[in-house]
Amino acid sequence: MASNSTSQPPSSDEEEEQEANSTVQKPNSNSIDNSLDAIENQLSSISFTSPIDETIAVVSAEYYHESVSEINDSSLNESYETVGEIRIDNNNSVGESSHASGSRVWMNNNVEVEVEAEVDGGLSSPSSSGYAGERGSSGGSVSSGSGTDVIREVRDNGESVGDDGVNTVDSVQAEWISGKRHADEDDASISWRKRKKHFFILSHSGKPIYSRYGDEHKLAGFSATLQAIISFVENGGDCVKLVRAGKHQVVFLVKGPIYLVCISCTEEPYESLRGQLELLYGQMILILTRSVDRCFEKNPKFDMTPLLGGTDAVFSSLIHLFSQNPATFLHAYTCLPLAYATRQAAGAILQDVADTGVVFAILMCKDKVVSLVGLQKSSLHPDDMLLLANFVMSSESFRTSESFSPICLPRYNPMAFLYAYVHYLDADTYLILLTASSQAFFHLKECRIRVETVLSKSNVLNEVQRSMSEGGLHIDRLPVDLSARSGSLFHQNQRRQPESVVGIIGGPAGLLHFIYRSIYLDQYVSSEFASPISSPSQQKRLYRAYQRLYASMHDKGIGPHKTQFRRDENYVLLCWVTQDFELYAAFDPLADKGAAIRICNRVCQWVKDVENEIFLLGASPFSW
Amino acid sequence: MPSRRRTLLKVIILGDSGVGKTSLMNQYVNKKFSNQYKATIGADFLTKEVEFEDRLFTLQIWDTAGQERFQSLGVAFYRGADCCVLVYDVNVQKSFDNLNNWREEFLIQASPSDPENFPFIVLGNKVDVDGGNSRVVSEKKARAWCAAKGDIPYFETSAKEGINVEEAFQVIAKNALKNGEEEEIYLPDTIDVGSTSQQRASGCDC
Repeated sequence: MASNSTSQPPSSDEEEEQEANSTVQKPNSNSIDNSLDAIENQLSSISFTSPIDETIAVVSAEYYHESVSEINDSSLNESYETVGEIRIDNNNSVGESSHASGSRVWMNNNVEVEVEAEVDGGLSSPSSSGYAGERGSSGGSVSSGSGTDVIREVRDNGESVGDDGVNTVDSVQAEWISGKRHADEDDASISWRKRKKHFFILSHSGKPIYSRYGDEHKLAGFSATLQAIISFVENGGDCVKLVRAGKHQVVFLVKGPIYLVCISCTEEPYESLRGQLELLYGQMILILTRSVDRCFEKNPKFDMTPLLGGTDAVFSSLIHLFSQNPATFLHAYTCLPLAYATRQAAGAILQDVADTGVVFAILMCKDKVVSLVGLQKSSLHPDDMLLLANFVMSSESFRTSESFSPICLPRYNPMAFLYAYVHYLDADTYLILLTASSQAFFHLKECRIRVETVLSKSNVLNEVQRSMSEGGLHIDRLPVDLSARSGSLFHQNQRRQPESVVGIIGGPAGLLHFIYRSIYLDQYVSSEFASPISSPSQQKRLYRAYQRLYASMHDKGIGPHKTQFRRDENYVLLCWVTQDFELYAAFDPLADKGAAIRICNRVCQWVKDVENEIFLLGASPFSW
Repeated sequence: MPSRRRTLLKVIILGDSGVGKTSLMNQYVNKKFSNQYKATIGADFLTKEVEFEDRLFTLQIWDTAGQERFQSLGVAFYRGADCCVLVYDVNVQKSFDNLNNWREEFLIQASPSDPENFPFIVLGNKVDVDGGNSRVVSEKKARAWCAAKGDIPYFETSAKEGINVEEAFQVIAKNALKNGEEEEIYLPDTIDVGSTSQQRASGCDC
């Protein structure tokens, strides 16, 4: 067993870090053998885990490893401060796509820089007046970040604005006004240029389809520029994936006649941004199916904007989830913690209606699955669930009445519609019944009434509400002592453990938060947020850190890794990937490494102990 | 959402270098004219919102470079155009002779579904120069060519003086709109009820 125990503070030298990044295995260091032995010993007693017999790979702050074909052909050693310029023969295209405003110091332990910049708006760019007057803008949002109901992000100066100038409002309180934000802006607006993250959808003829900010028609020229860039590269028999311009990344995704572009200075990894574009495309397919491709074949000048009329909120909400919901990068769904019998009861009645011709029956509470049942040997992909839930939660009309709407599940069948019967059983809990028949409304309505009756009689809805307010895995209730283990969350919930002394921040050994993703179940569970990660901006920062961790662990070029331990001034992050699960844990930056590893084992044990209650077992969509 | 439906029209401006394509566009969009010649590199994009017959629409104007070395940009640039504006300089015979090439090139590259009826418009620019004394292409000749190519609307313009520019673009918008109105029905696929059992998930890799 070899390991490297250095947990150095982030270095400012890019190349050094690149090097550190590539030397994942450093031989001969006995310093943490004890703790690793402890892991092994511990693990061997847990049936579902495989022992770490490899090394603890210490990867320092730099996660970035480009395995991307870039226009500027950057070599590995090239720092990503390098300005990648695409030189298209166009006098304004480059300037358009790289509207860098102000020069912010580029640090390599990028996570904190980004958030700092986000929280402070334009701290280091004095001319950030673009943010003025944007407060109180129309952006509401569905708060679906894994059960957190924290409402409002307060900026230093008292303004209540997120990184994109958007108020983060709890869905219950939010009046979903309109999805379109800052519709008055265009590419000439300073405020528009200062936005940290733009998303565009356009057609292959350069006609705008969607823009996160600003009015699509006013951005027609900008849209044409994007198309020109893509086409120019296409003409050379190539495909543009990424352009770096200063601190901006321009990520392209070509899906037949649909072009998707993200322009971001959030320093998220390329893979993450590309994944977000894929989801954005999936959301569009969910609304329209891929039959739109045929419209473009028949008529290249086809303008699909009218087809997407009224769906701005759906896209805006999804984009919001990219920094609020780990499902967007984990490609897994999460369940509402419930007593096993409660979930069984919900599953039984769903199975009952599924037997009458329903393709999928899904009971959800906000973004969490209560239960889920499918008729055939067909699978519901976690991404489809994410997009479906987002579609339902972001469309105000579903809340007010029972609805029947054609939707497409892009991973199930991107070419055709299913029909979704959607009904809210209470403010947060909704039932989705998917069918292949456009005539099934009344049948599904009957099904819903049956489901609703059974659920309220069996007290499931109350349990759902209770779980929603109490949360599931609280880190300060992590059983540190093996003797304190319990097979259930729910009697623990009744009385707090004596260990949770007032005044101690976070969980044992400085544990702040964790996410556990079960690979077989395609589900994840995350701990409830607790102090000091209590504000949405801090949560977002942590999610972005996880996202980087995820990207670096899954980097096809250098991975896959088994473990990663990383320390910067915000967190100690520990990631552990086995055949069965992935664990992402965040600790206090001063946390002791050995202790952190021990706690990670405890977490895995805990998850295993209560898996009946936090996961949907047996009835997993992939298990038929 | 906007209260009424807006239409976006992609308009391509083609013609030899120096005939005044950019100037026409600038006059139309910005009401400005400059005597200085600045060659367009690749393409310029401008947008203009127009209200017409109680409808709002946006012209997305693709001002392309006239130089031959940019012709390789063709296909992608022309794709999905709603209207094509052919410009020549009434004082330069060659620029008129080349109209045919520009038109053919456009039809090949853009391959519109109905090439016979694709909306072109021809502008004879720079009618102001030298009080019309240096003119070499007569209006009659130009109109004859337009008539032969399927009654292409023709305007004599001066980007400098702003003569006929507004009028020309009105017709451009009108024709582009007319051409675009035919296919507007989107018929989405629906899953065939009987075949759902064949709908195997593609996303599952377990």
